[in-house]
Amino acid sequence: MVLSEHTPVQTPPTGTGSDVRAARDFTTFMRSYQDMVYTTAARVTGSEAQAQDIAQEVFVRAYEHFADLADNPTAGGWLKTVATNLAINHLNRYRKRWRMFSEMRAADDESAAQIEFEVPDTLLSDLSAEQRGAIVDAALRRLPEHQRLPLVLYHFEDLSYQEISAKLGISLTKVKTDIRRARAALLPALQAAAARDTLES
Amino acid sequence: MNEGNDEKIERLLTGALSGLPLRRAPDALQRRVLDELALRAALPWWRRNFARWPMAARTGFVIVCVVLAGLSLTSGLTQQFGAQTRVWVQPAIGVMASIGGVASWAVSLVPPLFIYIALIVGALLYTLLFGLGAFAYRTLYLQHSNTAMIRS
Repeated sequence: MVLSEHTPVQTPPTGTGSDVRAARDFTTFMRSYQDMVYTTAARVTGSEAQAQDIAQEVFVRAYEHFADLADNPTAGGWLKTVATNLAINHLNRYRKRWRMFSEMRAADDESAAQIEFEVPDTLLSDLSAEQRGAIVDAALRRLPEHQRLPLVLYHFEDLSYQEISAKLGISLTKVKTDIRRARAALLPALQAAAARDTLES
Repeated sequence: MNEGNDEKIERLLTGALSGLPLRRAPDALQRRVLDELALRAALPWWRRNFARWPMAARTGFVIVCVVLAGLSLTSGLTQQFGAQTRVWVQPAIGVMASIGGVASWAVSLVPPLFIYIALIVGALLYTLLFGLGAFAYRTLYLQHSNTAMIRS
């Protein structure tokens, strides 16, 4: 089933029996996907407040398509795509004006990513998934937006370099440089956080 | 980092970032969504997105726009070439022509030099504000995030 983003708004939940049933179904639907949608938006934006706004908008749109989504096995993918696109649009709205200045050095500053350090053989392997999640989320939030965004799209949304380049409207070289820099910044941060976590526990 | 290190780092991070648990959405999210749906449903049709207007309203709006555009075009042609028009559209054309006349009269009152100066000043101010904004972004935001990253 092909889902379009432009279908009419359905009648909102009111007092009649079928509407109440629809509202209950939608609430159940929302409960099933809200963590995934919120996590996607939070990782892309790096902000909990923005992630809440985006998750809200995603579910408002999902309600408009609920007749198609309710029993559709691809609903999760649709929600994730909408969440990612809305989060990118949200960031782009505020980023466009500053991008020229904030990222202009990236293309000719390739050497900055050539940081030499010892690469460990394992990373966060001793920690539980919850501990890893907390450490990764905290480290991602500290990355500059133009590095975090392509990194998240590559590692969490499984997009290729080409797809990221097209989605963000930046060159392939810049995507690769930003991801390389993000990894170079993330790796020591994760190691340090893991070491702190191990010491504390 | 050489190519080998790049690949190793990518492999390490792919392993570390895979299978992470989802973050728990705030409890208030459901309530917010339902409230927003109720709010949007309570809006009158004319305050909603055009794509969601009733079909009759959309059709009427398009017809009115086409008629107005046609009248503007006709009044322009009439003024320019003195072309013949139907009698029933004459009053409307008269009104449109008057509005156009007042607008062009107002523009003609401003000396062209003033307009050029205003454009140059506007462009300079925009560039200045743009530069100041970029400077503030770099010094306040980027440096702050880089420092936070180093501290971590």
